[in-house]
Amino acid sequence: MSRLVAELPAPTGTQPAGTGRRRWSRQERLAYTILLPALGTVFVIVTIPFVLAIWQSITADDGSLVGLRNYTRALSNPLFYDALRATGLYALIVLPTEILLGLGFALLVHRAVKRAGLRATLYVLAVLPLVVPPVAVGVVARLIYAPGYGVLNYVLQSVGITHSEIQWLSDPLLAMGSVASVDIWQWTPFVYLVLFAGLQTVPKESVEAAQVDGATWWTQFRYIELYYLRPLFLLILFFRMADVLRVFDHVFILTGGGPGTATQLLSLYIYRVEFRFFDGGQAAALAVLVLVAISILYSLVTRALPLERA
Amino acid sequence: MQRISRREFVKRTAVTGAAFTSFPALLAACGESTGANKVSKLVVAAVQGNEDGPLKKVVGNYKSQTGIEVQIVEFPYDSLFSKLVTTFQANDSSYDLCMMDDPWMPKFGTMGALQPLDSNFGFTRDSDIPTVVYDVGTWPPPHGPVPPTEQSKAKHLYGITIVGNVEMFMYRSDKSSAPNSWDDVLKNAAKYNAANFYGYVIRGKATNPVSSDSLPILWSFGGNVFDDSWKVQLDSADSITAVDFLTRKLKQYAEPGAANFDAAERSQAMATGKAYQSTVWPGEITGIVEDPSVSQVKGKVAYIPIPQGPSGKGLGMMGNWLLGIPKGSKNGPAAADFIKWMLKADNMRNYVAQGGIPIRKSILNDASLAAANPYFKALAASFDAGPNWRPRTDQWGAVETSYGTAMNAAVAGQLTPQAAMQQAASQIRATMKGAGYPS
Repeated sequence: MSRLVAELPAPTGTQPAGTGRRRWSRQERLAYTILLPALGTVFVIVTIPFVLAIWQSITADDGSLVGLRNYTRALSNPLFYDALRATGLYALIVLPTEILLGLGFALLVHRAVKRAGLRATLYVLAVLPLVVPPVAVGVVARLIYAPGYGVLNYVLQSVGITHSEIQWLSDPLLAMGSVASVDIWQWTPFVYLVLFAGLQTVPKESVEAAQVDGATWWTQFRYIELYYLRPLFLLILFFRMADVLRVFDHVFILTGGGPGTATQLLSLYIYRVEFRFFDGGQAAALAVLVLVAISILYSLVTRALPLERA
Repeated sequence: MQRISRREFVKRTAVTGAAFTSFPALLAACGESTGANKVSKLVVAAVQGNEDGPLKKVVGNYKSQTGIEVQIVEFPYDSLFSKLVTTFQANDSSYDLCMMDDPWMPKFGTMGALQPLDSNFGFTRDSDIPTVVYDVGTWPPPHGPVPPTEQSKAKHLYGITIVGNVEMFMYRSDKSSAPNSWDDVLKNAAKYNAANFYGYVIRGKATNPVSSDSLPILWSFGGNVFDDSWKVQLDSADSITAVDFLTRKLKQYAEPGAANFDAAERSQAMATGKAYQSTVWPGEITGIVEDPSVSQVKGKVAYIPIPQGPSGKGLGMMGNWLLGIPKGSKNGPAAADFIKWMLKADNMRNYVAQGGIPIRKSILNDASLAAANPYFKALAASFDAGPNWRPRTDQWGAVETSYGTAMNAAVAGQLTPQAAMQQAASQIRATMKGAGYPS
């Protein structure tokens, strides 16, 4: 904001003399006026719901203040820890897999694919999973993994790899792997696109100088490209961690959180607390806890991967 | 481009903003002025699927007879429930009618979300419609335990069934005669179980599916979720025996992956000739098992009420879909007229012709309709037997989630029947205590 104002032309109006508080210049007022609708929108759709969520988390259904009771109830519920464990396991599966696969694809295309047309085609193919509604992804995934008629079991048995149905969605570990695979399919392209864009910013001179000095593909990556990708890893981690905490549709369709609570992720759990248990106070407390948790995680990730390149 | 002063800019912005914000109100006002006396459109919040399909097909007739358009706004099952709750909380007038699954009635009744059909619109009981159909739409419930907060309320009719769902039993009648008891079911499961042919199908997916599938067995074995004073009974000996019967004895002859089977998978297994027997909802019968375009077993499957258990009873479960009028609706009388129109025998026959599930005894027992609807007789018998409804508490969503999660774990073999029921009972006791029920 201050930078925007500083770059605007000098004010033409006169400054009142002898006052301790400087009046806003015409340009400043214009800048704030222009910003007002955006700030107002953010206030309405972000700040007000957030404040309401905090208020709901410290009140009972009848509006009376209950202090931190909703928080203690949320934290003392064993189902919360089941959901936390499931979400942690889910994140441990999807985040490293998506980052490694996305990085691998990005490096492969960056180094091996030189034709612009092919690169554009790969770009379009990578965007496709990102624009498919999660509900549709869940329905298709169910057709793949479903017991009885799932395409995957049919294919595996047809080619003789297995002789009986694999219970993709009924075994706790396989169910987690199955729901994670859907996430990996949908979001690896996002990682690929971001990292591929990052690789385009690497100065060719640096790469060519390294190659002249006999750098291998690994040292080229380790000492040059990775340096430019570091802030993007932060971006990816932040976005994907936030997404993992919001995952709902395909898990709901594939397993409904089962077997037992094996795939009942935090978002599904909070949904049930709010819309099945109608415990708005506890659901709001959980939402606030998740927000605090992701803020802490973001802070940790920021420290581990500093944004500055220099 | 003409320059304008800042003052003029602010003025024009304010006028434009005010015009935009008042536009919907102006529109609404116009609507009221032209439509206060004559309603031209009714909006129905409906569940997407087999349940609202026939309704969509008959509303055109209503328009041609009355001139009133009936717009069906569809939502998936879970979305409809949450949508209705938030609509009711806001006392919003978006919907003139809403479709409701019968276990939602306690929540909506407790909220005071619906307009009474009897006192406001003159609905009375029709002897051609089973008593239980009216009872399930009445709040507080006319029998069984009543939530503590609702005991002083006057009973009123708030919903009328338009999908006469009662959970029944289906079996391959080309292979054996009807089972009379769950013991027979187990024997037949063992007898007919073979490679790629399941002796029994469990609808075991977490929460609502496995809850719906197992409650008739639980009741038929003498178990229950609550007793008449809201004491949790899931960890009683009878309840655990019932769960053991389903998740161990029957499961050994059931399909692999039962813990993830929902109604679609069950119907598909039956329709493709891969299964011998299971519980069934009417919607699965009309939609898949008896649909000649997808079924390989049409004419080979028979439908009966839920078999008897050790308790000496075979208790089916109601899953009726009702139509109610939200309190926020401004078109209550017109909405009530539409419900009355749906209940007329001639219109219900037409509704049946479009795949609808009727509630009139005269239609269910009409021999001329039996060939096309082979489950009507069983459905009539199930209504006569007085099917159970899910406990009438506004906490049912929470109870079903706890019970259905534990049952799913038992079906998956993660928990023993006893451990599953103890876990469910413990969670449900905490929920009910928190909601002010006697613990």
